[in-house]
Amino acid sequence: MTPAEKIRGFISETFFVDDFADDDSFLRTGTIDSTGMLELISFVESEFNVQIDDDELVPENLDSVSNLVAFLARKGVSTSAA
Amino acid sequence: MCGIAGFTFPAELDGSRRAAEEAALRRMVASLQHRGPDEMTGVLADGVALGHTRLAIVDIRDGHQPMRDDRTGVTVVFNGEIFNHVELRAQLADRYPFRTRCDTEVILAAYLEWGMRCVEQFNGQFAFALHDPRDRTLHFARDRYGKRPLFYARSDGQLCFASEAKALFASGKVTPALDEASLWETLHLWAPSAGRSMFAGVQSLPPGCTATLTPDGELRISRYWDLDLSDDRVERDMTEEQALEELGALLHDAIRLRLRADVPVAAYLSGGLDSSLLCALAQEQLGGTLQTFSVGFAQERYDERAYQYEVAAAIGSEHHAVLMEDDDIGRLLPDVVEHAEAVLLRSAPAPLFKLSGLVRDHDTKVVLTGEGADEIFGGYDLFKEVKIREFWSRRPDSTMRPALFRRLYPYLAISGQAPSLIREFYGQGVDEPDALDFSHRIRWSNSGRIGRFLSSSALERMRGHDPVAAVLSCVPDPVRGWRPLARAQYLEVHTLLSEYLLSSQGDRMLMAHSVEGRFPFLDHRFAELSARLPDHFKLRGLNEKYLLKKFAAGRVPAAVLERPKYPYRAPIAEALTGPGAPGWCKELLTREAVDHVGVFDGSKVERLVAKLGKRTTTPSEADNMALVAIATTQLLADRVLMPRHLSPAVIDSVRLHAA
Repeated sequence: MTPAEKIRGFISETFFVDDFADDDSFLRTGTIDSTGMLELISFVESEFNVQIDDDELVPENLDSVSNLVAFLARKGVSTSAA
Repeated sequence: MCGIAGFTFPAELDGSRRAAEEAALRRMVASLQHRGPDEMTGVLADGVALGHTRLAIVDIRDGHQPMRDDRTGVTVVFNGEIFNHVELRAQLADRYPFRTRCDTEVILAAYLEWGMRCVEQFNGQFAFALHDPRDRTLHFARDRYGKRPLFYARSDGQLCFASEAKALFASGKVTPALDEASLWETLHLWAPSAGRSMFAGVQSLPPGCTATLTPDGELRISRYWDLDLSDDRVERDMTEEQALEELGALLHDAIRLRLRADVPVAAYLSGGLDSSLLCALAQEQLGGTLQTFSVGFAQERYDERAYQYEVAAAIGSEHHAVLMEDDDIGRLLPDVVEHAEAVLLRSAPAPLFKLSGLVRDHDTKVVLTGEGADEIFGGYDLFKEVKIREFWSRRPDSTMRPALFRRLYPYLAISGQAPSLIREFYGQGVDEPDALDFSHRIRWSNSGRIGRFLSSSALERMRGHDPVAAVLSCVPDPVRGWRPLARAQYLEVHTLLSEYLLSSQGDRMLMAHSVEGRFPFLDHRFAELSARLPDHFKLRGLNEKYLLKKFAAGRVPAAVLERPKYPYRAPIAEALTGPGAPGWCKELLTREAVDHVGVFDGSKVERLVAKLGKRTTTPSEADNMALVAIATTQLLADRVLMPRHLSPAVIDSVRLHAA
């Protein structure tokens, strides 16, 4: 599975939404609430074995599937299937 | 307090049809026995059936209902209390020949004097039906905040009414069916909007309204009171000293009126500011005979017993506490839904159901409760949220202003230095500070997310109905021009307080055990005082209920005054999922059972129940709310939409008076 697929799978399993686009803002569309964001962050940290610093907790890095994938790529996580 | 029920019927009936109508009235009254076990009566006359179950509190000997004025034939059935009946009686004594000491008779006298505008004179909590045979009209009324319920439905040219929907269904004239638009509203607003009920074809008379059924069958609803917090009513130069003095005098009088009864009046003591203050003042007026009742939780994080004991010891009340054990919520929820007749988003009604049982076990019929103080005096976090967002909206680009949310909700601090994430969430609508729903938009869209668990067919049917638009369309135009705090107070009173707190957490849980609640802070004179208070007496900075706390200082223990405000919540995921879940959960929350009812999506519910049952993480609020909504919808379908058994002995014990 690619990181994008893993993230989509986690969101759909955890927040019970199936119908969202890669560019949809999680917070603005109501896919994830503010506490759900914490669940997502801890999932990303453990699943991809990355450390997310406080100053990286910004919507540009986290608030959509595409943003997350791009952010992980900058952190050195390959965007193709593991 | 009591229950009422009845219907219109064609005045000329043959013997068998008349017998059928009598039987229908008996069943309706019998279905409300829990509201008034002391006496069950009814009368059918002049084309109107009126039934009553009585919880005898005032003039126990003579206050029988239905009560008829012999001169005019005007007849009333009444649920509730008119607290200022003593004063009104004195005012009307030379114009009406009173036979009883009962407040019911004051309604008759006041109606004969003022017509239906009589309700403007009443300080109380009431729902009544009044038949005037002189012009063949049937009138209805509900108190200003809707503390007492009144539902009605049309069926084959007949109008049926009752304190609870179950009585409408027991009549055999109204078929129980879920109103999906009301459910959709509940998933956003916590309850259907004013005027609606959970059931198709069943309406609720909105709070603060009267209605008149004319001889040609038209029902005219008119509003006699509304919360008016217009900016021009604010007395900006009111001093703190003056405000404290008025608050004290009014609170004293509101409690004095609500201690009037021919049976002892006790009080709920949650351990929070509002109930502690009430208990302290009531104890003063009673001279030391107050009994207090409270509920504690076996789970420490929900438990407030330490505060309750401290207050009880300080004021010297005879205190009784009941404990919510871990399995109580699962055990009680079916009865809770049967009484609330509603889909719920939180399980908080369950401990209140248990608490009223404790009161009943001590042979007590009446309790004071602190409901209303947060709405009137600005106690909710929601009001602070409005203040921060309003402040932020003046500099929408500011990154520091939204960081104030971390002071309001400390758990947000866990997400580190991430004000920009907070912005994304709390920023919804922040660019529209003048929007009527500015205050409630986040809460409503948050709870609306439960919609993701709906079945695709239910979602398809509901999608055309906009819950927020439904609420906002009932709001009078001038409210749009009020300042943000006043608008938020208005919406809070009209949605959460009137339609949920006073109903599913109030009347229904109290009456489940034949206990009457009385709410001193919901004396309408407090609404008038609130209108005059400058906002900084409510919220000072982010300090809530400023004036009330100031008044309470020295009257309640300091620990109660200083504690953070505690939202009344009960554990839920633990109670309804996992191996220890009660039998009904295992039966009603399966994929098949959920798909059978058809409102929610069985496979998503299965996933949710499995996720929560694993106990791997602390359940999120969103998941908890969804679980309660699903479980109570399933219970509603199973318990309330199905024919209910009524004991023949109870039906037979309803006495029908000769017309």
